[in-house]
Amino acid sequence: MSPFRNQIEIAWCPGCGNFNLLTDLSEALSELGLKPSQVVLVSGIGQAAKAPHYIQANVFNGLHGRSIPVAFGIQAVNPELTVIAESGDGCMYGEGGNHLIHAIRRNPNITVIVHDNQVYGLTKGQASPTSETDFVSKTQPLGTVSESFHPIALAISQDVSFVARGFTGDKEGLKSIFKQAIQWKGFSLVDVLQPCVTFNRINTFGWYRDRVYPLPEEYDPEDQVSAFKKSLEWGDKIPLGVIYRHVKSVFSDRIFEKLGRKDFLNPTSNYQTVFEDEKPGFE
Amino acid sequence: MKKILMKGNDAVAEAAIQAGCDLYFGYPITPQTEISEYLSLRMPEEGKVFFQAESEIASIYMVYGAAAAGKRVMTSSSGPGISLKQEGISYLASAELPAVIVNMSRGGPGLGNIQPSQSDYFQAVKGGGHGDYKVIVLGPSTVQELVDLTYLAFYLADKYRNPVIILGDGMLGQMMEPVVFNKPDFPPLPAKDWAITGKDGRERQYILCFDLDPRGLEQFNNKIFKKYQKIEQEEIRYEVFGEDKPEMLLVGYGTVARILKSVVREAKDLGIRLALLRPITLYPFPSAIIQKLAQQAGRVFDVEMNMGQMVEDVKLAVNGAVPVHFYGRSGGMIPSVEDTLKRIRDILGK
Repeated sequence: MSPFRNQIEIAWCPGCGNFNLLTDLSEALSELGLKPSQVVLVSGIGQAAKAPHYIQANVFNGLHGRSIPVAFGIQAVNPELTVIAESGDGCMYGEGGNHLIHAIRRNPNITVIVHDNQVYGLTKGQASPTSETDFVSKTQPLGTVSESFHPIALAISQDVSFVARGFTGDKEGLKSIFKQAIQWKGFSLVDVLQPCVTFNRINTFGWYRDRVYPLPEEYDPEDQVSAFKKSLEWGDKIPLGVIYRHVKSVFSDRIFEKLGRKDFLNPTSNYQTVFEDEKPGFE
Repeated sequence: MKKILMKGNDAVAEAAIQAGCDLYFGYPITPQTEISEYLSLRMPEEGKVFFQAESEIASIYMVYGAAAAGKRVMTSSSGPGISLKQEGISYLASAELPAVIVNMSRGGPGLGNIQPSQSDYFQAVKGGGHGDYKVIVLGPSTVQELVDLTYLAFYLADKYRNPVIILGDGMLGQMMEPVVFNKPDFPPLPAKDWAITGKDGRERQYILCFDLDPRGLEQFNNKIFKKYQKIEQEEIRYEVFGEDKPEMLLVGYGTVARILKSVVREAKDLGIRLALLRPITLYPFPSAIIQKLAQQAGRVFDVEMNMGQMVEDVKLAVNGAVPVHFYGRSGGMIPSVEDTLKRIRDILGK
């Protein structure tokens, strides 16, 4: 068993897609040669947000929708840490959707893992941002009227540094994506198809299994326009793998360049200079 | 009138429909998600709007918009979600817009837990958001009262053009009791001629929440505080329960008041005379009656499901005239009749 797994009793439904995700992420972390002390897992609120409790690493269980800014703050003061924000589709794309957009823009060196089961689990089955139109739930008895959110297309449209889609029924593929995302220098978003066996009777393991396929060898994840086109593929066929990546300077490096230094931990630095280009104003 | 056995959350939802709620905007959070579930079924049946937003913040601003358009509108949440709505509540008060906000509060601070609590008292009655403003706060104690105060909340919101908070807790939201839906005949309300309706033949409507001229803003604040003064004169509601000439006055609201009624009854069997003052309106606070009864009893015992919040208002009301004791359980714990009675006996030496 991975040294990143602990013995805390798991409070997920039997058969939940989260179990595979937990195992695959723990194994990916240990196979990367990371020590638990080097890793911080930050979560929000929801069934997915319980995951960091079950992983033997530093944990910050924050609040609903805000795991990305918390992860940003942790990484900003200690860029050597491996910082992973982990939560569900409701937390990351609904409550915290605005934070996701601005994190992409800043490109901090963090990994965001989204357990995407297209439904709210913790509050017992309401439509989430990724629920498909007409999805029937306890609070959408006539079917949801909103169109579903497309996180990968959004990320590519904003020239995200790294974005991938995994599936908890594809162990090797998911583990490989986790490893690439965690090693990636810059902001990496991993949307994981993770069936909710209790509240989503549409998007089941079988539903995903019938549709997912790995991106072929010849697929070029570095072409933003073709990656965007690929990101729109959803329905009968759902591509898995790294859909887009773009090497860019990361937030902390850009700050250090301005400061002419290598870390934030030395208290003698003059933080004022970071903001020298910002003119005082009124709001 | 037929009695129906209903869960508190469902009862609030049904009462809102009967009170003429045109739109509801929510976001899931335990222990109040049943309000959304119930309304998601019933609002479309009534040809009215139910919508689950992407966040609590979005839902309070959907309320802001619907209120500005002159419709009866409600949102609900619990502790952490209500915190997110505070900015919007300040703006609603500032724009003088009527809206009903239900808080089935839970243990805090932070995410806390999903057990019942009264630790959002300060947040509700002292403003919660920024700026000089007040929100009418109603503190139901039974499922029936949840229904009755929901009718009242919509009426008061329209009457005073001000947000109204129904401050329940997870216990009241989740418990089942028989209820009767008997909508009172409220006096007629003025037409909402300020609403943004887009109709022809009149000057355009302005709904604002700011005045950059400090003299203008002070004038505005004086105006809304005159309104709050009227609310304090006309809208105080409370219940007095128990013995005449008590040895001690108990003060408690909501779920705690239910427990205190049992305390009063058990104490009577022991020959201890107690009376309970139960505030029904938490803002406006029934200070005058508390002051009067406190002086008659000579001693006050305030009980809450928090670390001591309403007790500050009780002390202000009593103004040092008699001793005010406090007992609170926090974090989702509920004071028991036995523990409360023991503390009372210790204080009285009986």
